[in-house]
Amino acid sequence: MFQLFLIAFRNLGTHRRRTVLLGGAIAGVTALLVILMGLSTGMKETMLRSATTLATGHVNVGGFYKVTAGQAAPVVTAYPKILEQVRKAVPELDYAVQRGRGWAKIVSESGSLQVGVGGIDVKDEPGFRQVLQIQEGNLDGLNEQSTVLLFEKQAKRLQVKVGDTVTISAPTMRGTNNTVDVRVAAIATDVGMMSDFNVFVPSGTLRSLYQLRDDTTGALYLYLKDVNQVPHVQARLRTVLADAGHQLMDNDPRAFWMKFEVVNREAWTGQKLDITNWEDELSFITWTLTALNGLTGILIFVLLVIIGVGIMNTLWIAIRERTREIGTLRAIGMQRTRVVVMFLFEAMTLGALGTLAGALIGLAVCLGVDSAHVGVPEAVAMFIMSDRLHLVVNAGSVVGAMVFITTCTTLISLIPSFLAARLKPVTAMHHIG
Amino acid sequence: MNAAVAQSPIVSITNVTKDYTLGKVVVPALRGVDLQVHPGEFISIAGPSGSGKTTLLNLIGCVDTATSGVVSVAGQDTKQLTERQLTHLRLHTIGFIFQSFNLVSVLSVFQNVEFPLLLQRKLDKNQRRERVNQLLEQVGLAHHAKHRPNELSGGQRQRVAVARALVTRPQLVLADEPTANLDSVTGQHIIDLMKELNQKEGTTFIFSTHDAKVMSHANAVVRLADGKFLDRLSPSEAKRAMAAGAEGH
Repeated sequence: MFQLFLIAFRNLGTHRRRTVLLGGAIAGVTALLVILMGLSTGMKETMLRSATTLATGHVNVGGFYKVTAGQAAPVVTAYPKILEQVRKAVPELDYAVQRGRGWAKIVSESGSLQVGVGGIDVKDEPGFRQVLQIQEGNLDGLNEQSTVLLFEKQAKRLQVKVGDTVTISAPTMRGTNNTVDVRVAAIATDVGMMSDFNVFVPSGTLRSLYQLRDDTTGALYLYLKDVNQVPHVQARLRTVLADAGHQLMDNDPRAFWMKFEVVNREAWTGQKLDITNWEDELSFITWTLTALNGLTGILIFVLLVIIGVGIMNTLWIAIRERTREIGTLRAIGMQRTRVVVMFLFEAMTLGALGTLAGALIGLAVCLGVDSAHVGVPEAVAMFIMSDRLHLVVNAGSVVGAMVFITTCTTLISLIPSFLAARLKPVTAMHHIG
Repeated sequence: MNAAVAQSPIVSITNVTKDYTLGKVVVPALRGVDLQVHPGEFISIAGPSGSGKTTLLNLIGCVDTATSGVVSVAGQDTKQLTERQLTHLRLHTIGFIFQSFNLVSVLSVFQNVEFPLLLQRKLDKNQRRERVNQLLEQVGLAHHAKHRPNELSGGQRQRVAVARALVTRPQLVLADEPTANLDSVTGQHIIDLMKELNQKEGTTFIFSTHDAKVMSHANAVVRLADGKFLDRLSPSEAKRAMAAGAEGH
């Protein structure tokens, strides 16, 4: 086998120009794949960090309470008991918080905004301090009741600054509007789409707005030490909470506010818990990732087809040039399978070297762009929830990309390799060319 | 009849024909040839161009198949063998020396000679090295083991081909005009080398040639003409017959 590998390797060296051109193309595709994966992973990581802090936990225990069949409120009653059960059942937990959920209008003297209102206990939210950049005011200001955290763009639209008062007006299930006056305690830098329609107030303020009991909240947000554990934790919670006597909603991988219509149509009343994960809650924006991944897939497929044709062509030429050699090797006793293996080695070596070079280039570009803190246009920032391009290279994905492209190039070379092996020794030996 | 002839033949050809199809035309290359070669013989196949020498060697070497008739090598009817079995037979029983050397250009002299042993997978690394070095010594190329074929002269390349053909200690070596691309002195050296190996190792050699000088080293000369077996002569008879033929023309 080593000899076959040696023949393949040296043949690549002998036809240097051809090898460099084709290897370069393979390297280009690999580099592109690594960069696109870096971009996708970076976006996902940024979205995960920002969105999971602002709008969802890694796993959420939310739900609806229905006084009558057609009146659903997105609340969890008697949450301290549920929180205790959750803490016992999830050793993977980093920390858990309760968040109030509301939908209201914020009115200032010069404007108004329709936003989601999150009720937080800021002292229990370590993630907030990591994700938010406070431009004005102080996050600790939210420890006081009747305060609000706004984002830069919202403050601009409402034309308010820290210390100003705005009114939050929320519709209730009884068809009336409750209002509360709150003081702007802090203004944070925008974090993409999330900051367009979210503001935060202390939990107590939100409860008073909706006139909820102290043991009622919007949802429990669970943050795990390892985000990869989400599916296991989610599945376990469903079992544990059901066993504890809670009514659970069927799994519906959508954000809670997209479920009102379905829940209101159902006949049940009382409390039902809904266990979701961050991807469910952000399903309305994760399409950007899906689109990027789809685009990456299409691009890579097209490039691979081009590379595939190139490899096949190159191998045709190589086989044509080496027909006499194939004939000789077959004559002196090389089996057909070994001829196939010899050409496969050649394609595999070319693929491995090309992908290695491409991966290194892609890696360098990703690290370079990431450390250069390249800014992105506002429209892009909205989706990636960051004003800077963040590329994250996952070693496993890079190795996966290398193996995938090398496997493709090797498989593509099977056809010409088989044809080479099928040549009759006498025909091959007398080949002129 | 010498001792070798008393044994069963290593090559037995009975009423063999071979036709080639060129477009719509069928060209007969061999027309009912019979031949028997016994172990240890050093046989030359002679005849003008187009007489069927190479075709006959290809059939004996199992790199081509006869249109009709029986070709038996080492007691095996080649028509009954699968492609895999034929390749196995070539690897373990036959050595090839080609007119244009046919070495693998990207391998060194040592690696070219070692290659059939690697395919056989019978010997370990040390045994292979010993066998290859011994053969390179025999063909006078011990100091060129690390060279690539394109760094050698034609004579040296053919000596590498001889070493490669003999490295597996085959029962039969086929050489298709082994001296055709060499000058007369180098050609003579190659034939001397083959003859020496034939006598020392008892390897059977069948080689085709036009050259009367080369023929003179053979035990017997099998003459072909127009794809037919003409006669089997001693080298001196063959030389006389060829001289008479030339005068006749």
